[in-house]
Amino acid sequence: MKNTNRAKRHMGMKTKSRISNTIIYIVLALMMVIWLIPFVCILLESFRVETTMQVGYVVPKQWGFDNYINLLTKTDFPTWYLNTFIIGLVVSVVQTIMVLCTSYTLSRMRFKGRRGLMNFLLVLGMFPGFITMIVLYKVLSGVGMTGANSVPGLILVYSASSGMGYYISKGFFDTIPKSLDEAARVDGATRAQVFAKIILPLAKPIVIYTVLTAFMAPWGDFMFAKYISHNTSLGMNVAVGMQGMISTPASLAANYTQFCAGGVLVALPITLLFMFLQRYYVAGVTGGAVKG
Amino acid sequence: MATVKLTNVKKVYGKKVVAVSDFNLEIADKEFVVFVGPSGCGKSTTLRMIAGLEEITEGTIEIDGRIVNDLQPKDRDIAMVFQNYALYPHLTVFENMAFSLRLKKVKQEEVYARVTQAAEILGITELLMRKPRELSGGQRQRVAIGRAMVRDSKVFLMDEPLSNLDAKLRDQMRAEIILLRQKIDTTFVYVTHDQTEAMTLGDRIVIMKDGFIQQVGTPAEVFDMPDNLFVAEFIGAPKMNTFEAELLNENGRYYVELCGSKMEVDGEKGRALAAKGLPSQKIILGVRPEHVTLSHASDPQAIACKVEVNEMMGSEIYLHVITGGGEKPVIRVQTISLDEEQRASLGFGKTIYITIESRAMHFFHAESTKNLLV
Amino acid sequence: MPNLTDLEYLRLNRFQKALHKIGRFFAAIPRWFLSLFIAIWNKLKGFGIAIKNQVLDIILTFKNGSWKTRVSFFIMGFGNLARGQILRGLLFFIFQVVFIFYMVVSGGHWLSKFGTLGDVGSGRVYDPILDTYVLEAGDDSFKILLYGLLTIIFIIALVYTWRLNVKQNRIADEIIASGKKLKSGKDDIKSLTDDYFHKTLLALPVAGIVIFTVIPIIFMILVAFTNYDGAHDGYSNLFTWVGLDNFNELLALASNNNNLSYTFGEILSWTLMWAIFATFTNYFLGMFVAIMINKRGIHLKKLWRGILVLTIAIPQFVSLLYVSKLFANNGLVNGLLMDWGWISSPIQFWKDPTLARIMVIVVNIWIGIPYLMLIATGILMNIPKDMYESSRIDGANAFQQYSKITLPYMLFVTGPYLLTSFVNNINNFNVIYLLTWGQAVDNPLLTTSGGNATSVDLLITWLFKITTGATSNYKLAAVIGIMIFVVVAGISLIVYNLIPSSRNEDDYS
Repeated sequence: MKNTNRAKRHMGMKTKSRISNTIIYIVLALMMVIWLIPFVCILLESFRVETTMQVGYVVPKQWGFDNYINLLTKTDFPTWYLNTFIIGLVVSVVQTIMVLCTSYTLSRMRFKGRRGLMNFLLVLGMFPGFITMIVLYKVLSGVGMTGANSVPGLILVYSASSGMGYYISKGFFDTIPKSLDEAARVDGATRAQVFAKIILPLAKPIVIYTVLTAFMAPWGDFMFAKYISHNTSLGMNVAVGMQGMISTPASLAANYTQFCAGGVLVALPITLLFMFLQRYYVAGVTGGAVKG
Repeated sequence: MATVKLTNVKKVYGKKVVAVSDFNLEIADKEFVVFVGPSGCGKSTTLRMIAGLEEITEGTIEIDGRIVNDLQPKDRDIAMVFQNYALYPHLTVFENMAFSLRLKKVKQEEVYARVTQAAEILGITELLMRKPRELSGGQRQRVAIGRAMVRDSKVFLMDEPLSNLDAKLRDQMRAEIILLRQKIDTTFVYVTHDQTEAMTLGDRIVIMKDGFIQQVGTPAEVFDMPDNLFVAEFIGAPKMNTFEAELLNENGRYYVELCGSKMEVDGEKGRALAAKGLPSQKIILGVRPEHVTLSHASDPQAIACKVEVNEMMGSEIYLHVITGGGEKPVIRVQTISLDEEQRASLGFGKTIYITIESRAMHFFHAESTKNLLV
Repeated sequence: MPNLTDLEYLRLNRFQKALHKIGRFFAAIPRWFLSLFIAIWNKLKGFGIAIKNQVLDIILTFKNGSWKTRVSFFIMGFGNLARGQILRGLLFFIFQVVFIFYMVVSGGHWLSKFGTLGDVGSGRVYDPILDTYVLEAGDDSFKILLYGLLTIIFIIALVYTWRLNVKQNRIADEIIASGKKLKSGKDDIKSLTDDYFHKTLLALPVAGIVIFTVIPIIFMILVAFTNYDGAHDGYSNLFTWVGLDNFNELLALASNNNNLSYTFGEILSWTLMWAIFATFTNYFLGMFVAIMINKRGIHLKKLWRGILVLTIAIPQFVSLLYVSKLFANNGLVNGLLMDWGWISSPIQFWKDPTLARIMVIVVNIWIGIPYLMLIATGILMNIPKDMYESSRIDGANAFQQYSKITLPYMLFVTGPYLLTSFVNNINNFNVIYLLTWGQAVDNPLLTTSGGNATSVDLLITWLFKITTGATSNYKLAAVIGIMIFVVVAGISLIVYNLIPSSRNEDDYS
């Protein structure tokens, strides 16, 4: 009696797991559709030729590259694109240097005021960063780094304070055993040599993570770029520029499909770069979350 | 090759935590000194102060007659082997060993010569192209030692170098360190928590507890004549048995009263006690497990005990017994001299009789736990 | 609440345990405040003692110091120069010269106007020679505020440097007395790569933070106490100190009720609601997705994960703007629904307050799940397998395993992350702004003052609108900035104090 019961339950477990797996597959498949559909739509709509307005269908009735050609020749999109690219490039270098210096120091060295500095940065981070714009905009415009010439201004705004984002990188440095530093110092290295010859080569994953996130951030920033560029098209990044393309009902009707084309052009290289370096990104994100 | 001299060295962490105090020691040229003690006793801190990895709160450390308190590790001309090896993961074994030479901008031929020579001695020549993660624990240990050897430095510091190895490998490496020491012949300071390592490796042993030196001496000295109860119990395995006992001075003759049995202290120990002229007093009596003698019921001085645990180790048996007074000593019995019947008589719950010979006795002051004969 | 021993506590049933814990928590609050006050008091006392010691030390240094030291009290760096430490001496000396020069040339001017932020308005002044009215520039309050602040910082820096200079002289005296050698300029530079390498490394980042964050934030805090806005721009119309007026207005403490405080209350409560929803929906759903993908027997794990991760790469503004248009009145969704005849007029996704709030949360889930899935996957893989095996032997089913092992472990390791992500959501500009910008205002009460706020606006988007809007209400923006800080700091403080045990790193290692 008991035996048969157990057998039944055993069978039950197997079918149960089969049912639950099926449910999971259905849910996952549905999710993938939801997550991918907007991007498929944007891609399809970017090739639509018959009308530039929003319409109640997805697949174009007439295919063509018109939107791309118009975007690249008749708008400031190439300028925005170049602006963002330059900003991303410079910021990724400067920010990486800043973050590495700060996080290495705070992780490895013990000096008077270290705790105090960390607490201060923590409190400082609780202020909304945008609030600094009230004065920075005035100062930057005073030296001519806003409006059409906002690329250097934005670079400064993004990267000057980037030492504050040291947490994830410090978490990584904390995992490198301290005895490596000590061994190197006994071996005759100065602290600078320890940094250059031992720690930096080991920090490759976190360097790549920092570069990648620093490069990607300017592509998505709207708030600072909007404020600094101050409605001057030549100084915009892609986010601000493309938002401007569809900001009124009239411009939306005229530019919607161009906007889609722009979205594809922005997303494509970033996504490729990301796929290439995904491993490091995942490591950084998960490590950072656990470390806090 | 150099002397190391520590004078009144003290280390305080923060404002309160005292890690090392009153540390005075002179290490002779080419001497092998072992710091041993339980964890947290300050042995590693002392070593790290010699290395320059910890600041010295008070006192001075001299290497080769030069005060090094304010020198960076790199300027002290020392080599160090770390507990977890601290090999540079991104460098090959060769480059790991060559690291210090590269920093000094030594010429490539000499780097090659010195690294390969050290590798030869340690038997790791075929590993030179590998990265640390491709090595086993023992191999990593050798590379770490090799990295320190290449330096040709004045003092060779080792911080628990064997504690990450499994038991078999540890025994093997211990023997190799003894061999190595003969080959490189320099001043060694070695830190361990393992008294066996200390006894087998050291010319002299420094036993520490709670930041204070308990005793400095050769292995034989600390084993035969421990300064206090802590040293007595720390050195030797299984640890020394201790009993609360009564020392009686009856007109110059000394007796120990223990578990209702009165044993005369004669021979060398008796003379030593007499020479000190000690009065009758409560004492702690120490006897090493291997120095307890099995006896029989007819012996008037014998103490009856019941066997609680019989640990068969192969060549010997550890008997955990309990006396009538509730004391729980351990007795080490060589198995080779026991026949089947005798073995059976040592089983669980059996009553056995033990005596303690005078020369096996250690006398400690009941309160201060200092050795009464020192 | 009685103090229980461990064993007495263990004897309680689950309900009693919870009761006991709650009781303990509330019982601890007075003690908590008490210890807070004591800590503040001790800090103040410590500060006072430190100041006293500093002053004492300065006096003693002057009394006992050599003549070189004494001269250094007035000419900074003199002692260093006289003792052969040329580099340090020159730096001190140049700093002092620059300071004096600056104060004479302009610092004094800015400082003298700092109290009023300018008293000479610009205006047309009658010029008797030309016999006409000319435009004459007056003070610029903005410049006075900024340069005044910089001057004060400069003065503090000088005091600090002067103290350093005095201290160095004392130390130098001591070193010479003990017969040792002083550090040369070469030693100083060398030590920057070794002993003081942290100074080298931190110099650039800290300078950047001070110039681009610290000073602007102090400036912004000062602005909160002025009437700086579009109407009082500082040059055509001076602005000045108004004390706590702005705070009073925002917090409804002022008598003139202009429903600014109502707007603030609405937006603040929605901000908190949003942050809670956005954080926890993402957290639990992301974890759920990760568990589904990680479940044994599910194939194509890499594909599922890969597709989700890919969506992280696409810049948010593209997807957000696109989705915003997707659900617009004439967008694809409404178009399709109308084509299919399910609805007759477009659904106001972004206009209806409740619907809009639901929409931003839903879209935020769509944006956020891939991140959380990634994080959760990483952590799930780190949970020791033997915990699950042991719990299975103990008879736990899948749900019990989740609630007794997975969830506590996740919460434990991601506790700090949850806090960070909560704070990030309070300041989540992109999702709210890019999804809902340009929508007609739906709640007229929110429009009467302080910019065109809508029901979905967070404090941060409101701040943005106020600053960029036609009124350029900087003073209000500054106050809101401070409010955001207060909210974030308060929540962080509470969370850190509530989960002290979770900071105990040994529990799960």
